[in-house]
Amino acid sequence: MATTTASVSISSSDLLPGSNLSINASSTLMKTGLTTGMELMEMGNAEIAKDYEAQLFADGPATDNGAYFIYICNNSTDDTYYIEYKIHETVIGGLYAGDWMFVPYNASDGDAEIEVKGLLGTNKIEYAMFKTAWTLPAAES
Amino acid sequence: MATINATISVNSDIMSYPVRINKTMTMKKAGSCHGLEETTGMRTKKFTSTDDAVIVEHDELTDNQAHKLYIRNTSANKANFFYVSYHASTADATTTEPIGKLYGGDWMLMPYDGNTNISVASSTSDTQVLEYMLFADGIIAAAG
Repeated sequence: MATTTASVSISSSDLLPGSNLSINASSTLMKTGLTTGMELMEMGNAEIAKDYEAQLFADGPATDNGAYFIYICNNSTDDTYYIEYKIHETVIGGLYAGDWMFVPYNASDGDAEIEVKGLLGTNKIEYAMFKTAWTLPAAES
Repeated sequence: MATINATISVNSDIMSYPVRINKTMTMKKAGSCHGLEETTGMRTKKFTSTDDAVIVEHDELTDNQAHKLYIRNTSANKANFFYVSYHASTADATTTEPIGKLYGGDWMLMPYDGNTNISVASSTSDTQVLEYMLFADGIIAAAG
């Protein structure tokens, strides 16, 4: 069994007057079923040009309503560059230059593909998905 | 201007070589070099039913901005989870649009445009506690 741990630290000394903000959390990523660590993943990087809409992860190979985690980082350095993070056609938020995100994903139905769209500039992103199960497309005959 | 830093660290032996992700971001306003300086504060909410609940109301926020939302299921039980959805009032497996399932101990940090509520629903009537904090790129003061 593989072991994947994901930790986050959020800190600020000047967001909350009179107190330091310090959030620390860590979890071990488990498959759906919960006692076995995730054993599948894929990762990569890409350039997403302005107005280009890309499918980062198709929903078909995933198990419906399973347990998955997605990491995306926008490595662009121009503060005006950003991409939209979308599930199917729904925009969830904008990932600006230097931002990263880490979210669960449950591949809920046949319309739950993960998409990103470049809004300004050519964005350099890196991404990973940690998976409960994944079925590769069958080879063409 | 405040400075809010968020660091992720992922370590895994899934591959035959070590997988390491380490990245730090400074939360900034949309398209700007200036840091976020508002928050709705850290909140905790105890759930004892499977009823849907809105944890972020979008009408308190400026639309189409670079908000960030941190959520953690503080429960230790990996058998239970919260549905988290980008939806006005409902969170389940299929309602447009489910973001994912946050099991006991899991956390998430996501960009959020502030255009629709964030809703959650517990998978169980067992007690589960959610903690969450919105880092806002524009809060709309409540009307008097």
